[in-house]
Amino acid sequence: MGDIILTMKGIDKSFPGVHALDHVDLEVRKGEVLALMGENGAGKSTLMKVLTGIYKKDEGTITYEGKEIEFENPRAAQAAGVVIVHQELNMLSHLTVAQNIFIGREIMNGQIINDEKMNEESVKLFQKLGIEIDPKEKMGNLTVGKQQMCEIAKAISHDAKVIIFDEPSAALTEAEIEELFKIIRDLRDKGMGIVYISHRMDEIKVITDRVTVMRDGTYVGTLITKDCTKDDIINMMVGRVIYEDPKTQSAVAKDAPVVLKVEHLNAGKMVRDVSFELHKGEILGFSGLMGAGRTETARALFGADPKEGGDIYINGEKVTINTPMDAVNHGIGYLSEDRKRYGIVVGKSVAENTTMATLKEFMSGLFINKKKEDEVAWKYVESLKTKTPTVDTEVVNLSGGNQQKVVIAKWLTRNCDILIFDEPTRGIDVGAKSEIYTLMNELVAQGKSIIMISSEMTEVLRMSDRIVVMCEGRKTGEIDIAEATQENIMQLATQRN
Amino acid sequence: MEKFKQNPIVKKIGFNRIVLIGVLILMYFLFGALCAAMGRASFFTLARVYSAMNYAYFMGFLAIGVTFVIATGGIDFSIGPVMFCSALISGYMLTKQNVPLIVCLIVSIIVGTIFGLINGYLVAYLDMPSFITSMASMMLAKGIGSAYTKTQSVSWPQGTEAAGWYRNLVKIGNGSAAIPTGLIILAIASIIFAIILNKTKAGRYILCLGSNKEAVRLSGVDVRIWEALAYILCGMLAGIAAIFYVGAYTTVQPGMGDTFNNEAIASCVMGGTSMSGGIASIAGTFIGVLIIAMLQEGILAMGFQKDYQFVITGIIVILAVYADIRSRRRRN
Amino acid sequence: MTDKEKKGGLSNNPIVKKIGGQRLVVIFVIVALFAFFCAKSPTFRQYSTILNLLDTSYYVTYMAIGVTFALITGGNDLSVGTGMVCYSLIGGYVVTKLGLPIGVGILLTVLCGVLMGILNGFLVAVMELPAFIATLCTMMIARGMGSICTKSQSINWPQASSAQGWFRSLFKITVGETKYPLGFLWVIILVIVMSIILTKTKPGRYIIAIGSNKEATRLSGVNVIKWHMLAYIICGFFTGLAGLAYGATFQTVAPGTGAGLELDAICAAIIGGTSMTGGSGSIIGTLLGVFIMSLLKTGLPFIGLQANWQQIITGIVLLVAVLIDVIRSKQAKRA
Repeated sequence: MGDIILTMKGIDKSFPGVHALDHVDLEVRKGEVLALMGENGAGKSTLMKVLTGIYKKDEGTITYEGKEIEFENPRAAQAAGVVIVHQELNMLSHLTVAQNIFIGREIMNGQIINDEKMNEESVKLFQKLGIEIDPKEKMGNLTVGKQQMCEIAKAISHDAKVIIFDEPSAALTEAEIEELFKIIRDLRDKGMGIVYISHRMDEIKVITDRVTVMRDGTYVGTLITKDCTKDDIINMMVGRVIYEDPKTQSAVAKDAPVVLKVEHLNAGKMVRDVSFELHKGEILGFSGLMGAGRTETARALFGADPKEGGDIYINGEKVTINTPMDAVNHGIGYLSEDRKRYGIVVGKSVAENTTMATLKEFMSGLFINKKKEDEVAWKYVESLKTKTPTVDTEVVNLSGGNQQKVVIAKWLTRNCDILIFDEPTRGIDVGAKSEIYTLMNELVAQGKSIIMISSEMTEVLRMSDRIVVMCEGRKTGEIDIAEATQENIMQLATQRN
Repeated sequence: MEKFKQNPIVKKIGFNRIVLIGVLILMYFLFGALCAAMGRASFFTLARVYSAMNYAYFMGFLAIGVTFVIATGGIDFSIGPVMFCSALISGYMLTKQNVPLIVCLIVSIIVGTIFGLINGYLVAYLDMPSFITSMASMMLAKGIGSAYTKTQSVSWPQGTEAAGWYRNLVKIGNGSAAIPTGLIILAIASIIFAIILNKTKAGRYILCLGSNKEAVRLSGVDVRIWEALAYILCGMLAGIAAIFYVGAYTTVQPGMGDTFNNEAIASCVMGGTSMSGGIASIAGTFIGVLIIAMLQEGILAMGFQKDYQFVITGIIVILAVYADIRSRRRRN
Repeated sequence: MTDKEKKGGLSNNPIVKKIGGQRLVVIFVIVALFAFFCAKSPTFRQYSTILNLLDTSYYVTYMAIGVTFALITGGNDLSVGTGMVCYSLIGGYVVTKLGLPIGVGILLTVLCGVLMGILNGFLVAVMELPAFIATLCTMMIARGMGSICTKSQSINWPQASSAQGWFRSLFKITVGETKYPLGFLWVIILVIVMSIILTKTKPGRYIIAIGSNKEATRLSGVNVIKWHMLAYIICGFFTGLAGLAYGATFQTVAPGTGAGLELDAICAAIIGGTSMTGGSGSIIGTLLGVFIMSLLKTGLPFIGLQANWQQIITGIVLLVAVLIDVIRSKQAKRA
């Protein structure tokens, strides 16, 4: 391990209502891979955005190559050699691979862009990484894995000294991850400082030299990877909140009736011939990598996206679901992974959101019965312990966990028997998380059935009675909780054709 | 200032609306002063007020309709020409084809509603962008209106004629003793549509889908019906506006009407309706319409062409939309 | 599946791929329309009609090229129709009423367009107003300004026979007895130049990138505000040129007109394959789209359909073009 190339000290950043970073420290050395770990919402991405100039810090210092600096914008950071490979890919799908890699610094031939030369340079970059991608292909036509490789190629083409990988493996197959690790080791050996953000424990042990852990926007500590165990890291990440152990046994009786049966569901490229059953009182976990088609399956089942084929049976009866309206009429509720876009109407009040799916029941003749509406909204605010001053408060003013509770209240008002929770705890802080878990357990105890899509292995293992694993739009396996392990889920999740 | 804003009565009426009413009163006296300064006839006459109100009636119906569309996050550029198309077709039937007046009035409303249906279907069911769709139906309205009347202008009967009683919808009697029936009808209509927007299922869903259509759809609501309904209401109100237009001015020419779109939209955004959808106020629109009518009358009274009004309205809309975007950004 | 394969078979043909499937359809429609009008009306077949057709296509072409750039950024420009008339009025006014040299009038016409482009660009790129509402407002402003500046009078740009009429021959030149559509040459040259700018230079690349994903482009360190504005300035510049062509083609420019002409331009661009959602577009496609619009405009009177029918048909063509675009971008999203 070499000299220190980058130090962040006492970084503080607040957004309205959220103290996102509370005096965080970070140190990156040349020729090492530093893992930056923490739960969702711990502030890892925010810290990196502060570093690369996307956010302005409130307090603290950044020292890079011995000089105190503050990057104005990502471009200035790039120019200085600090580049980030984003979690959500920043691609321009209408442009070609080479045009994407060189966006902002095209190779020119006078006033004319030299696309030929850019293609050649891209091929050279790809050769350096040992991968093969046609630089003339439109970016939108590549697989997620390939797009990721292009992002990396773009990063190293900047002559980077520090490269930040923000959860690069989330969408990659085993083979692609191997390839990625080879590239990362190679870059490390060339003396670059690498920050690797992930919450996959196994990867951290394989690829990184040191681990810095964050929790709830604060710096917890730094460990030498080879001297510590997984448990050490988990303890630091989780802190005072103690996680329940994984479920060891399904809580559902073997002969529990099937409430939902899906057969040969097909919808676009991401849902291919998916079949499964959901029992009464069961939490059915859906596991898989990013882009495995789990959300797409849920959306097709719910009628949010058109499907090409497949039969759906509810309580043994064949039903037609072409629109969300049909789904809701059959007692299915869907909690989206992207609350702000698909879950709540941000500009409207808690009461208005609560009664969104059931407004019919709140009508007195032609008019909405505001009193009744408020009563029901209050009822759920109290029973779900939603933190809101009044039911007339606009949901935009609520925290993520409380917004999620408003969405749950919406479906409880509708009295849905089948609930699809898509990433129910994404972006929710640790305390609210366990409240949501408790709530889910209460719901199944009342006889409701839940499909839970989750990318967090601990969540899947803790909550599910049975686990369906998907990969590239296909269902690759189904595991009873008694036999489920991280390893066998992972194996199914990467079982590609 | 803050204290004034927090006053319960002010809060109830809405600070912005009080400012708008202030602007309206200020404009009245400003135009009066300018007219006096320019040596023109006095602005403070009852005739001027009636003349301004004539403009406010049909504009009011147009603006209320487009408020519903804007509340869904869409826009309707066809209302002005649709209003003219309605007035042309029904007027032609009345004057050239001897159709009874009451039937003609109903036809006028039906023509408007049909355009609303077309717009609503194309936007809500076929997912076409509302602004370009409604511009296309604007062309259709202009073309159909003038094709029907064989490119002639239509003069509706005068109040003294047998079929002239429709003019009583606008004003009964003459001079200072006249009863402004149009104002009464517009005020009642405003209240009814304000109730529809704020107290009924249709209004609730229209506002919600304007704020986040996908979330409402995923709640199992048939958003297409409610979105289309906004356009249908808007078309219907354009048909009603046609009656009040001819009630005030009697003559309609083919191929015109698109400038009224802009003024109706300006009334809405001034009144606090957000161009990005989800927030709308009929009361605000009503005051906005009065301001536009005042502006029109004032500019005419000073002896200027209507051209100045186009420029001023354009600037008003830019400022109002910018203010809306800024306040929205600050909130998020 | 078989249907798909069949379609795939044709669209994989290298020649078809090179030209583009939609463009082939558009070319086919142009030929078919032309043949139809020729068959229906003997007078349509005359050289003077073709000349007239080209003559009245220039101003639409320039507006359409301009608006293509605005559309590619994912925006729009509704001010082009009214704007064009406004600039033509102002340019013509200083020549005919104030007696300034024709060169000044020409420059002023184009300059007005550029200024409006800057205003539109500022409103959309800097103030981040929705493009359609911002340009709707500038459309109203242009409409008012045109009348105010000319005191609501119609303007006749100098006749071809007059001393200052040489500029009209820039568009239609008379050599001996015959007239030649010289303006078409400039159209071809400008189409080629703008195609190269769009596909081969930085401004074009960044304008496409902004339409594809503005935030990603910004994070790549591109000054998105500058290039976004430039798209509208290009649009304004071409609207200025359109104003010139309009003044040169028609005897009279009347204040208060021009509304609705922007739809011809937008329609042409969409027919030519430019998407309303931004990120893709082609200048050559736009030119082909203009031919369809001009053929309809010129041809319909020959089969007895007057101005009001042209409006109706423009409306329908626009609806169909937009519907095709909506379906196309839905498919692209799903694939």
